[in-house]
Amino acid sequence: MGQRSGVGLVELAILEVLDALRGGRSWGAVPCDKVLTTLEHEMDLDRKYAYQVLVDLAQPWKLPAPLVDGIGNFGGRGDDPPASPRYTEAQLSPVGEIALAAERGEIARVPIGMINGNTHREGIRPPFRPAAIIDAIRQVLSRPGLRGAQITTIVGPPDFITGCTVTGDLVALAAGQHAELGLHARVTVSDAGHVRDREFKTAAPGHRTTLLTRDPGDPVIVIDKLPPYSNPDEVIRSIADRAQGQDWHRRHPELGALTRLPIRNVADLSGSRGGSWFVCVPSDDAPLEELRDQLLKVHGLSIYITTRLPRPLPAMIMTWIRASQDEDLPGSLTALENALAQQQDGAEY
Amino acid sequence: MTAAAGDIGRVIPVGSEFPVVVLAAAVLAAERVSGVLVGSAALWLRGEPVSVGDVDVVIDPGLPNLRRLHDALARLAVRPTSVPAVYRLREISIVTVFSSYGRIDCMLEQGRCDWQRLRDGAGYVSIADAPVLVASAADAWALRLKFRGP
Repeated sequence: MGQRSGVGLVELAILEVLDALRGGRSWGAVPCDKVLTTLEHEMDLDRKYAYQVLVDLAQPWKLPAPLVDGIGNFGGRGDDPPASPRYTEAQLSPVGEIALAAERGEIARVPIGMINGNTHREGIRPPFRPAAIIDAIRQVLSRPGLRGAQITTIVGPPDFITGCTVTGDLVALAAGQHAELGLHARVTVSDAGHVRDREFKTAAPGHRTTLLTRDPGDPVIVIDKLPPYSNPDEVIRSIADRAQGQDWHRRHPELGALTRLPIRNVADLSGSRGGSWFVCVPSDDAPLEELRDQLLKVHGLSIYITTRLPRPLPAMIMTWIRASQDEDLPGSLTALENALAQQQDGAEY
Repeated sequence: MTAAAGDIGRVIPVGSEFPVVVLAAAVLAAERVSGVLVGSAALWLRGEPVSVGDVDVVIDPGLPNLRRLHDALARLAVRPTSVPAVYRLREISIVTVFSSYGRIDCMLEQGRCDWQRLRDGAGYVSIADAPVLVASAADAWALRLKFRGP
């Protein structure tokens, strides 16, 4: 990886090409096809793989600090794949600019690799909240005697952007050991009235709300804040399939009762402003809390990943600071902070 | 709720700690797919202290069974179009599908080479009321060593 930004080498190569192809302009999108051709010629990098990496760098639900701004159809969280590279363009994001500046020695090191991790590419380093990492570094710079436990507390748990709940042995993770983390969607027992209000607030103009005809007091189960690496379209199909009767339910009623979800209907209410969210209408007399627990076990609403940091979290921060001793770290941290602020759009995923 | 032991003489609790993905093996069995559960799920059902990430099933290579497997996977998979046609199931080594229970690896080549021996060493474990054929711990460890290394 890039020594001064922590960005992966292929990712860095993509940033370099995006910069080179804009030909000295401070702003400029480049056709993705051209980026891939350059990467293929100069690095013998497989186009399909390179495009996947490029798209990942632009998808804001995968990285706390996206390095690329995608222009055109860069795909959605569900079954909507990105358009062919012939029809998309990309440019360096403000954070991408900072990463390149750090790699070229124009500014001091920046902890982008530490913030983004690499679980988005099936690696084992989880992402962290950008402000928490920046704050931890600042605190250690101002109070060099800060203890490891304090640093760990400042950084906090991994942050997977979508707001999903993270469970697992976070102490082991912070200690640099293997930790199996569970990423869980938020599954809440609510009522049709609340759903109607939320749908009304988040729906695109002209969108017709789906639950208006239900009694506002009717119970529903709301699912949102999905783990970043699950596909909402697959999740909703899974839920709908599990609500169906199967031939084998008659032969194995006990297994049927264990696996069948007592749901009458499931609706995808994801909108352009509200992120991915679904509503399940339970069957009459379905035990709601039990159904909630059953739903949390559906693959995609909970996923499990193996994580490990290269060394204990406090040591990681201290080593990073020591390697940048004679540089203007506060300056580069402020530059990174400003770049992140430019990119935050308040969207939910 | 419990999963009653078959001929391995153990009672497996199906509670909050029960790995959900193991239910995929039970559903395959309920769909009348003939296979032997191996891998971490088999070891877990045999009482070994392993974490279960997916289910691995060695498939009986008979054609009628491959047809049942195809139909069952098409119903289980979150992407039914990813399930290969029956004639392909006779040729390929492994089929992986993602279901609402998690990842299912169907080991077809292993079934073509080793079905009868694995079947002879296996025993039934009932998960809920579905009897699942589970490889012996020795066979499950041997296969794990073969595919994952020591």
